Amino acid sequence: MTATTTASPTRTGDNPFPLGKEDLLNAYRTMKTIREFEDRLHVDFGRGDIPGFVHLYAGEEASATGIMMHLTDEDRIASTHRGHGHCIAKGVSVHQMMGEIYGKSTGACHGKGGSMHIADLSKGMMGANGILGAGAPLACGAALAAKKLGHKGVGISFVGDGASNQGMFLESLNLAAIWELPVLFVVENNGYAESTSVDWAVASDSYVDRANGFGLPGVTVDGTDFFAVYEAAGEMIRRARDGGGPSLLECKMIRFHGHFEGDAQTYRAKGEIEDIRNNRDCIRQFSRHVREAGVISQAELDAIDADVAKLIDDAVEQAKAAPLPGPADLTTDVYVRY
Amino acid sequence: MSDPVVGIIANPISARDIRRVISYAGGLQITERANMVLRILAGMAAAGVAKTVIMPENAGLRGHLMRALTRSRNAGEAHFPDIESLDMAVTGEAGDSARAARMMREMGVAAIVVLGGDGTHRVVVANCGDIPIAGVSSGTNNAFPEMREPTVTGLGVGLAVTGQVPPEIAFSANKRLEVEINARREIALIDVALVRERYVGSRAIWKTEGFEELFVTFGSPGGIGMSSIAGMVAPVARSDNFGRRIVFDRPDLAPFTVRTAIAPGLIAPVSIAHVETLEFDRPVKPSTRAGSIAFDGEREVTFAEGDEVVVTLRGGAFRTIDIEACMAHAAGEGRFVKQARPQSTAMEVRGGKP
Amino acid sequence: MARKISMKDAINEALDQEMQRDPTVIVMGEDIVGGTGSPGESDAWGGVLGVTKGLYAKHGDRLMDTPLSESAYIGAAIGAATCGLRPVAELMFIDFMGVCLDEIFNQGAKFRYMFGGKAETPVVIRAMCGAGFRAAAQHSQMLTPIVTHIPGLKVVCASNAYDTKGLLIQSIRDNDPVIFLEHKNLYAHESEVPEESYTIPFGEAAIVREGKSATIVTYGQTVHRSLDAAGALAKDGIDVEIVDLRTLSPIDTDTVIESVEKTGRLVCVDEANPRCSIASDVAATVAQEAFKALKAPVRMVTAPHTPVPFSPALEDLYIPSAERIGDAVRQTMAA
Repeated sequence: MTATTTASPTRTGDNPFPLGKEDLLNAYRTMKTIREFEDRLHVDFGRGDIPGFVHLYAGEEASATGIMMHLTDEDRIASTHRGHGHCIAKGVSVHQMMGEIYGKSTGACHGKGGSMHIADLSKGMMGANGILGAGAPLACGAALAAKKLGHKGVGISFVGDGASNQGMFLESLNLAAIWELPVLFVVENNGYAESTSVDWAVASDSYVDRANGFGLPGVTVDGTDFFAVYEAAGEMIRRARDGGGPSLLECKMIRFHGHFEGDAQTYRAKGEIEDIRNNRDCIRQFSRHVREAGVISQAELDAIDADVAKLIDDAVEQAKAAPLPGPADLTTDVYVRY
Repeated sequence: MSDPVVGIIANPISARDIRRVISYAGGLQITERANMVLRILAGMAAAGVAKTVIMPENAGLRGHLMRALTRSRNAGEAHFPDIESLDMAVTGEAGDSARAARMMREMGVAAIVVLGGDGTHRVVVANCGDIPIAGVSSGTNNAFPEMREPTVTGLGVGLAVTGQVPPEIAFSANKRLEVEINARREIALIDVALVRERYVGSRAIWKTEGFEELFVTFGSPGGIGMSSIAGMVAPVARSDNFGRRIVFDRPDLAPFTVRTAIAPGLIAPVSIAHVETLEFDRPVKPSTRAGSIAFDGEREVTFAEGDEVVVTLRGGAFRTIDIEACMAHAAGEGRFVKQARPQSTAMEVRGGKP
Repeated sequence: MARKISMKDAINEALDQEMQRDPTVIVMGEDIVGGTGSPGESDAWGGVLGVTKGLYAKHGDRLMDTPLSESAYIGAAIGAATCGLRPVAELMFIDFMGVCLDEIFNQGAKFRYMFGGKAETPVVIRAMCGAGFRAAAQHSQMLTPIVTHIPGLKVVCASNAYDTKGLLIQSIRDNDPVIFLEHKNLYAHESEVPEESYTIPFGEAAIVREGKSATIVTYGQTVHRSLDAAGALAKDGIDVEIVDLRTLSPIDTDTVIESVEKTGRLVCVDEANPRCSIASDVAATVAQEAFKALKAPVRMVTAPHTPVPFSPALEDLYIPSAERIGDAVRQTMAA
């Protein structure tokens, strides 16, 4: 039994991916920065260094990164309580973020907002949000403004699987559809709404069906696969910019840490966390793909790792050393002018 | 076969991918999928099937089904067979369908009814061995399963597994493509496409500029998806003892351009270098050196220089139930007709042609 | 050259003039155009009580009908305000605030503070308030204490057409979120209103009647009830001064205290319910800042601690009447 062969056709290519090498390196850098930032917070929070609550995005990096790479400062995102990843991917300064989490006056919000309210409107980041689902109407507003002001900006609304049950979110699907707003609703389905499972909380278990029910198309992708997210988000954002209206992207993913830091996660199955860390690590997957394709070397990735480690160390050091806001700061910036 | 058990694998996650936005592919709501399962069950019960077993899932099918079955039972109806859920873990991914098919095979079910798109059918066939399947389309590209009202599919399956239709009429033999990538083995029921994108990404293929090579088991001009390319230039039927291989090229180099429905609502041009007939059992080494391979429309595997890829067409590789033939046979035998009183003549059709 | 127009028309005029002046002003709300998607006329209603009628013909799609979806569209207006638009969103009745309260008080009100001064939310949320319309419990509340309580919001409630136009224009030009309450029972009330655009600053109360015997502090519909009471009291030689707050946040405490220092007697009249009302807020402030000026205890005249009743006989008892206001003034004179 001999296999037949034929002459190879005349097409070749170095980089098989839809992004150039520079962009691939940036994608890796962004995901790695998020991972290191979050894992570092996990450690420092455990030591008691950080006031209040933090909700960590580790494990979910491919979603934020794959989507944000299609955006500019003119595009707006409204995030969730688990917003550090969105902030970093949207270009908010890591130093300012760390400062904010430490409640220092050098923080992105001068220490007045904290982890759950980090925002940078100059970068189109409309804020992490302590009220789940509240970002959806805000993103509709950003899209409405873009339409009325005549530019090609889009609004991206991030919600989790739990928040997708919130009335504000469901109402926003309808509003975006009837007003034909350039919004992408992203449901980051990590399987758990705090401690309850999505299998229980979401009756239809299908965000695509929900979107369809409201009159917009929906797509589901593996949220731990950077390229799947990148490709789908790219098509849907382009569609929105071209006047195709809103759509919904479900990214199925996993989170490595608890709902909040301090969460004992007893609602998870035995061995679940270890299993996902070993088998569903989006950064490891990405790294493997780009190395196996021969586009990026381990050495190049290692160099980025070293860079990122330094960046985070520096950000923590500076945050710890920075001054706290003073009594006069308590009553400033309630209004523009009262 | 006395007391046959029929398996049902209804995939809740089909029809959710990127083709919802790059083409006009639709979705099928969970409640509608559940209704389709109920229609299949009703058909099977009417044909005499008493026991069924179903793949569990957490996507909402189960609740809807159980409510309908409970309501029917409480109303004293006998519309549905007994239904049991397989004892397996649910991950919500394609592996569930594979596992369910293996379990059903081990149990020795008489047939498996599959609700899903080409991808779901492929996964089931890869794991069900010699168990015959009946396909119901609820996915995106529905090139493999035939479009048919599920109630009738249920009837046909019931007739086949209860022996009311002779096996040589009830079951058909089907072709499939077998692909080896080094040590890994995959199958495809309709087509194997080699594309230039060397990443799996969102899995669907639609960018025709990247198409390198295509192998099909069958392709009809009235079909959708990659196989319709063959359908347009060199059609081949499910019953033909061969397949096709098509090699693409750059538009400026290729002798032909063909436009066809690549995805629902998406008619796109492809540039063809040449077309050849694919014979059974003759392994073919694709000329594409690197890229990814899509089985029945979904990218699964990437490969590069140095990877050994071989494609072989096999005949008689798996069995399907020929619903049309079963129904025709049953009607011909008057299986669903009851005479109120013994009469000497068969039913006649009055006035004009019979 | 002033002419007399109704409060309703004053609102329409303010919106029209601001939309002419500033292309980033958009107006949205349920039925504010009316007829969207329906086979009959566009601009079919121009608002449930016709307040925005005619604006669509002039400004087209800068007026947007919204679905019955407050949390989405009020939230969208707030979001759009942080992105370069100046939306005027109508919440048909302030009573509907329950369904969109989060977007107002946790989002819009707090952006500037939470984001360290780096956000501006120039949104105006217009809403009808008040009783007397026989609209019953869920369409007749004031709810002024609730919105006034929230840091980050500004609250306006005018008592006449002149103030309404000036304050609405001010609200639209203001860079903070404003809750602009329009007493539905005053829509038809007319006063002299200049044709040109003008503004009235926030935090400036108006003395609508000068007097020496006692001070009445109030806002909205009860300004007119107080004026009625003043007429009756004057016959008995009691000369009341009436301070119309006009804006509740910021509030013009200075004018109130100045008046109390002149008269020594204070009656706070408020159509809101008594617990944590504007009346109690003003009373406590005066007690703290001007105790020595008081010749008698402060008296508060408010609605009762009940929902708004439907039956006209009961609703008329609910709203602070000229009689009850007069009685309260007399009580401060007698003490």
